Amino acid sequence: MVAYLAGIWRLRYFWTSLVRIDLRNRYRQSALGIGWSLLHPILMTTVLCVVFCPVFGTDYRQFAPFLLTGLAFWNFVVSTATQGCQCFFQGEPYIRQQSAPLAIYPLRTVLGTAIHGLAALAVVLVFTWSIHGFGNVPALFSLLPTLALMFLLGWSLALCCGLTNVIFQDTQHLVEVLFQILFYLTPIMYPARMLAERRVEWLLKFNPLAVFIELLRVPILEGRLPPLGAYCTAVGVVAAFLAIASLALVRLERRLIFYL
Amino acid sequence: MALIELENVGLTFRVRTHGRITFKEYIVKGMFRRRASAIMEVRALEDISLRLGEGDRIGIIGHNGAGKSTLLRVLAGVYPPTTGRRVVVGRIASLFEITLGFERDASGWENIAFRSYFQGETARTLRDKLGQIAEFSELGDFLNMPLRYYSTGMMVRLAFSIATAIEPEILIVDEVLSAGDLAFQCKAQARIQQLLDHARVVVMVSHDLHSISKMCDRVIWLDHGRIREVGPAEHVVNAYQHHSNSVERQAA
Repeated sequence: MVAYLAGIWRLRYFWTSLVRIDLRNRYRQSALGIGWSLLHPILMTTVLCVVFCPVFGTDYRQFAPFLLTGLAFWNFVVSTATQGCQCFFQGEPYIRQQSAPLAIYPLRTVLGTAIHGLAALAVVLVFTWSIHGFGNVPALFSLLPTLALMFLLGWSLALCCGLTNVIFQDTQHLVEVLFQILFYLTPIMYPARMLAERRVEWLLKFNPLAVFIELLRVPILEGRLPPLGAYCTAVGVVAAFLAIASLALVRLERRLIFYL
Repeated sequence: MALIELENVGLTFRVRTHGRITFKEYIVKGMFRRRASAIMEVRALEDISLRLGEGDRIGIIGHNGAGKSTLLRVLAGVYPPTTGRRVVVGRIASLFEITLGFERDASGWENIAFRSYFQGETARTLRDKLGQIAEFSELGDFLNMPLRYYSTGMMVRLAFSIATAIEPEILIVDEVLSAGDLAFQCKAQARIQQLLDHARVVVMVSHDLHSISKMCDRVIWLDHGRIREVGPAEHVVNAYQHHSNSVERQAA
């Protein structure tokens, strides 16, 4: 385990430079650069505000930051999972040349999406501050452990999706469908308490992703520290994902090349 | 200290006749208890035992499909053996399919950097080598261009320059001696020779029997995944040539 992580660390220059190349390629494609790819959540929020503010009878000043936070998280998870599906095919030429820890390939994916996610989060913060004034700084520091947990979640998710996709070629399609469904089951467009009020609380209880949205929203929107219980749940979810990913990795680390 | 040891190594590929399967097929066919896609077993290597130590220069020869490249990949640690044991001590560098694994949208310089990092360089050790690699490739200002505009020959030059800038203990080479144009080939030969002189263990595959018998002191003749003969270079190369000639005569 330690030796494995040391192997990843030894190749740090390799994967960081790959991430740098990925990011540059992604943002150089358009003149607006990073702003262009942030346009998606902003446009989405605008449209949803126009439609749902009158429907739900809420104020856009409440609803827009609420929605942006949820979308920032969701886009991170979805893009990590879908791009993660391709991570080992992307790294195939390297895998065929030299034996290196396989976990560096999903790491490349998640670092890319994480940097993008941080930019989306910055938009959320700036937008919220411009409406509600500068937030509670100590509460904002509580985002750091949340982000670390999200990073580990993304890494293991990309790894699982990548491994599955090597063996079953329709994985990416299924992942896309699955997340489309999950989008409506996760409190992104509606507040979590609406589920409780309508007696479908269990939907929340069995959704491993819902807790992360709470961990993001409470400090950003309410300026409070999230409850400790939420952190515990999140740690549990991440631990479960990491365990599945590690088990899959142990089984396939040496044999994956035969499936490529 | 450099050492490679293979003990009764065998490698069996399990190849699906229809490529990768899908979840859909897996579930549908699974209900009827049939294999989703027939699996064919290919015995690429069988019962290979080798012991290479300090100062060994080994050549591997054999017909196409005899398992030469597969054996190299087992030695390099890319393929895990299905049976048997593989022990390797020492830092390995392998030169195969060197033109693969470039990032086409990145410039030559960036490709030099991350390819070298992949071979285990760090930012500090690379700094001294960067100029050396660029100079050897003779690509000059082309290095500022994205790789998508490179010709195959230029790509080979770059790949070869990067791959050979390392000082490995164990060097594994697969048919890279025919790199680039004639002028570059001479240079490449000299560089390989230099690497051969410095590395402690060298294993190479080539169809060029002349250079094999010149560069190696021991030769392994692989036939259908088994070691057919192993011994002093000249002896094995002669036997192989004799065999090939007789097969040719039979065909005629």
